[in-house]
Amino acid sequence: MPNSPTYLGTVQDVQGATISIALDKDTVSGLAFIDGHGYRIGQIGSFVRISIGFTDLFGIVSQVGAGAVPEALAKVEPYGYRWLKVQLVGEGQRSSEFKRGISQYPTIGDEAHLVTEQDLTRIYGRPDAPNFVRVGSLASAESIPALIDIDRLITRHSAVLGTTGAGKSTTVASLLASLSDPDRYPAARIIVLDIHGEYHAALNDRATVFRVNADKARGEQPLFIPYWALSFDELLRVTPFQGLNDADRAALVEKVKQLKLASLQSHVRSGVTADTMTVDTPIPFSIHRLWYDLHRYVCSTHTAPSANQRGTTEAIELGPTGQPILGDIMKVNPPQYRPITSGGTDRVYLSGAPLNIRRQIMATESLLRDSRYDFMFRPGPWCPNPTFQNLDAQPTQDLDALIKEWVGGDKPITILDLSGVPVSILEDLIGVLIRLLFDALFWARFLPEGGRIRPLLFVLEEAHAYLNAGNAGAASIAARRIVKEGRKYGLGAMIVSQRPAEIDPTILSQCGTMFAMRLANATDRSHVTGTVSDNLEGLFSMLPTLRTGEAIIVGEAVHLPLRAQIDAPAKNRRPDSHDPKIYSPDASCGWNRHKQSEDYARLLETWRSENPRSINNPGDKP
Amino acid sequence: MNRASVSSSNVASVGYDPSTLTLEVEFNNGSIYQYFDVPEIVYHELMRASSIGKFMHANIRDNYRNIKI
Repeated sequence: MPNSPTYLGTVQDVQGATISIALDKDTVSGLAFIDGHGYRIGQIGSFVRISIGFTDLFGIVSQVGAGAVPEALAKVEPYGYRWLKVQLVGEGQRSSEFKRGISQYPTIGDEAHLVTEQDLTRIYGRPDAPNFVRVGSLASAESIPALIDIDRLITRHSAVLGTTGAGKSTTVASLLASLSDPDRYPAARIIVLDIHGEYHAALNDRATVFRVNADKARGEQPLFIPYWALSFDELLRVTPFQGLNDADRAALVEKVKQLKLASLQSHVRSGVTADTMTVDTPIPFSIHRLWYDLHRYVCSTHTAPSANQRGTTEAIELGPTGQPILGDIMKVNPPQYRPITSGGTDRVYLSGAPLNIRRQIMATESLLRDSRYDFMFRPGPWCPNPTFQNLDAQPTQDLDALIKEWVGGDKPITILDLSGVPVSILEDLIGVLIRLLFDALFWARFLPEGGRIRPLLFVLEEAHAYLNAGNAGAASIAARRIVKEGRKYGLGAMIVSQRPAEIDPTILSQCGTMFAMRLANATDRSHVTGTVSDNLEGLFSMLPTLRTGEAIIVGEAVHLPLRAQIDAPAKNRRPDSHDPKIYSPDASCGWNRHKQSEDYARLLETWRSENPRSINNPGDKP
Repeated sequence: MNRASVSSSNVASVGYDPSTLTLEVEFNNGSIYQYFDVPEIVYHELMRASSIGKFMHANIRDNYRNIKI
C-alpha cells in the first residue's frame, strides 16, 4: 500500500507512448491537497509522473473514465473503472533536467503519481535562463511561469492560431513586448506586417511605424516601396503589363534594361557593372519615363509611312505659342498627336510600332496618376524625377537608406502598417517586402548587420489573407522561402491567423512552435492537430473550450506541450483590435447615443482622399 | 489564332481575338497581317460587309496599326 500522497494508481496497459492507468481505490477523486496546494485529479491536460527506478517519465492525461478502459477489459468491466489514458512526452532523471522523448517504457504495475508544483518547476522552470522569456503562466498552476526558448521560437518559426476574439493579437503583443525588452535584448529586430493597423498603440514606445498616408503628428513615417527595387516579374504583377505575349514582353524587358543601363552609366553604383546588370537588378529607373517613351513609340502619329518613320517625323500638335505639345513626364500627360488622315499632301500615318500594348499603356497612365499607388510609384526620395532637360535624373536616396530605416532603426520593432494599401496589390506587395528583406539579409549574411549575426523576425499578421493554400502568389512564395531556408540565414517567421485551414500547409508544417488558441471550426482544428505529433491529439481536443487568452503551446520552443494563460499586456500595450460597440455604457458611441447632425461632406472628403485621418477633428466632435 | 475562311477577291481568312483586340487577316497571296486595337464591332461589320476586300481597304488598312507576320 503506497503511502505517498501523490499516488494515483498503477500502470495497467502500455501501447507505445499511450498508457492506461487504473486509479487506486483509495485515491480520492476531485481535489487532493499536497503541501498546502490543491490539485485536481484526472484533469485533461494535467500531468502524471511515473517513476521507474531512477528515472521519472512524464505524460499528459488525454482521457478519463470508462472510455479509457483498455479494449480487452471493456467486456469484463462494462461500466469502467477509474481509468486514465496518458500520453508519454518525456523523461527526467532524478535531480537533473527534463528531456523530450522516452528512453524506456513503463511496465505493468509501475506507480503513477500526481505531478506537484515542485515537479513542474523542474520541468518548466528556468526563469533565470537568459534565452527564455515568460509569456504567461501555466493554466493549471499559476505560480509557474510559461517560458519560451527564443532561439527556437525565432529560427524554427512559429504560428499563433485562434478564432477572432481568442486573444491572438494580445498574445502577439505580449510576446513582442517580451522579445523587445531593451534591458534583455537591446539588439532585437522584428518586423511586423500589420494589415489592420492594430499594433501601433500596443508598441508605440518600442516601434517605428511606417504607413502609407503617414500621420506625422502620431510619429508615423511614410512607407515607400520603390518600384525599381522590384524584379521584372514582380513589377509586371503590380502593373497592367501582366499577361503580355512573348514578343511584347521581350520588347518591354529590352526597354527596361535600356533605361537601367542609362541610369547606371550616368551614376555609378558599387557592386554592379553594365556587364553584370540584368533586368532584375535593383537599379533606379523611371517608370514614368518608361510610360512616356512607350507612349511616344506606340501611340504616336507620323508624317511618314511606317518604313520611313524616325523621331523627326512625329506629328505632334503645336500649342498656341507654336511649341509642340509634348505633355509632361512626371504629371503623366502624354503629348498630343495630330489625328491620322487618309490622303492629301500632308498625310499623317499611324506609328509602325510592332507592339500590341496600347491598352496597357493607357492603363499604366491611370495607374501612375492614382494617388493610392504613390507609395510605390512616387516613392519620395527614392523617386527619380526625369524632366525633358534631365531625362536620367537619379533619386536622392538609394536602397541602403530604405533598408536601414526598416531593419536598422533605433527601435527594435518596425511596424509596416499596410492598412492603406489597395487590396488588389496587397498580396504582391507583401511578397515584395519579404523578398526584398530576405535578399538584403541573405547576401549580407557575413556582415555584422546581416541575418546570421543579427537575426530578424517577421510577424505575418492575418496570414490567411495572403498565404492561401495552393496559391502561387508572390507572398506565398516569399513566405515559403523564409520558413524553408530562413533558419540558415537568421530569418524567422511568426504566422498569425484565424483560419489555419486557408494557409498553405507547407508553411504551417514548417512552424516549429505552435500557439494554438481557441478554435471552434472543425476544419481549422484538424489542420492544427494534423501538424503536431499523433499522441498529442487528446490535448488538442481541448481547443474549442480554451478560455480567452489561453493557449496550448507545443513544439520546439517549449520542453513540454503546455497549456498557458498568456499574460495580458499592460493597459497601454493592448492592440487596437477592439470591436466597435453597439451598446456603450457611457453612450459615447454605438446605437444608444443621441443622434447628432452629421457632416457627410467630411465623409466624402476622407473617402476621396483615401485617408481616414485626412480630417483634423474626426468623429468625436459634433 | 483561329481564322475562318471567307469568300472575297483578295482576303482568304479572318480571325479576331477580343481579349487583345487583335484582328488577323490572311490575304489570297498568302501574307498574314495583324491589326491592333480593332474594336469588336468593326470586326463584326467586316464579316457582314458585302465586300470584305473593300471594307478592309476603306476602314481597316490605314486606320489601325499593323504588323506583317
